[in-house]
Amino acid sequence: MNKHNAYLMNIKIILLAVFMASACVSTTQVVLLPNPDGKVGSLEVASDKGADPQTLDKPWQATETSILTGVPDTPKVMDEKEVKAIFGKAMEARPLPPVNYIMYFSKGSAELTADSKNLLLKALEAIALRSSIHVNVIGHSDSVGSVQFNDSLSARRAKAVVNALIARGVDNKIIEIANHGKANPLISTPDGVPEPRNRRVEINIR
Amino acid sequence: MKKLILIVSMALILSAGLALADETSIGFVKNVSGQAFIGRQQTLIPARVNEKLMRSDALITGADGSIGVIMQDDSVLSLGTKSRVDLTQFSFAPAENKLSFVAKVKRGTMVYLTGLIAKLDRKGVRVETPNAVCGVRGTQFAIKVDNQDEDDSDLSSVKSN
Repeated sequence: MNKHNAYLMNIKIILLAVFMASACVSTTQVVLLPNPDGKVGSLEVASDKGADPQTLDKPWQATETSILTGVPDTPKVMDEKEVKAIFGKAMEARPLPPVNYIMYFSKGSAELTADSKNLLLKALEAIALRSSIHVNVIGHSDSVGSVQFNDSLSARRAKAVVNALIARGVDNKIIEIANHGKANPLISTPDGVPEPRNRRVEINIR
Repeated sequence: MKKLILIVSMALILSAGLALADETSIGFVKNVSGQAFIGRQQTLIPARVNEKLMRSDALITGADGSIGVIMQDDSVLSLGTKSRVDLTQFSFAPAENKLSFVAKVKRGTMVYLTGLIAKLDRKGVRVETPNAVCGVRGTQFAIKVDNQDEDDSDLSSVKSN
């Protein structure tokens, strides 16, 4: 090996060493997915290197940090299949997102309004669809009447919904029941004001 | 407006239990397959459906494992194989204006769908990796970390059994 070649060789070794020292031990890839309702949000990916963050706001758009610099690269839209090849296992493990319903009641009564009876069917579907293991039912009232009266009324409302669910086959062990009386109105009113939107039962299905 | 009221109301109700005590769970396991664990204070708890998650837990999966969890703010998080995510911080107390979720993806793959924390506070959710930080606004995303510094030695106690 002549002197010139040995010199080049040394430079190569030095460059390789510099590359290895500066290369990042880890890389991060981020992909924006459409929400279950089809809408698309946005997210910002920043690095610890102080470079400008990258914004993802289109479905299947992705950015990856460079193995050399650690900086997230210019976003590009990935193929849906490609995303599923990488993230398929995590996507399969995704629980269905929880849902919330509000069912309304007639004045001073624990009888569901006609519209709310339809919601009950939706709730039953939602429970079945996700093999739900947590159903949270909370009764409320408007501010007409005493605290005691409304505590009892809101409890009867919650119980009416729970009974309807159990009657249609929902396991009572997955149901948590509570009542807040007039303490947690959806619409704030002075005391003693009738407000149909506060005569309700809220149900959270997970 | 009506929707916002619903969101705020649900947030107050869902958080009512959480604000009571520090020991209250921050979420629960909904789906599990293969090797999946909850890392809690240096111990590995086999993840089972309905198992509660506590503050500072880690979710860890082995070579064939995956796990899906639902957090107290109705956000949804899942991991693919050979993954580890530390649930570093979780506060969900809208009445006290305490809204924050910080997750650290150490290795592997995670999919996250935001919940009420992201809806109520634009800066409430942060997902960190060894070299990047994601600020998330009401959305769903997937994240993958290849990390040469990270191995699955935190699963070694399980493997040797």
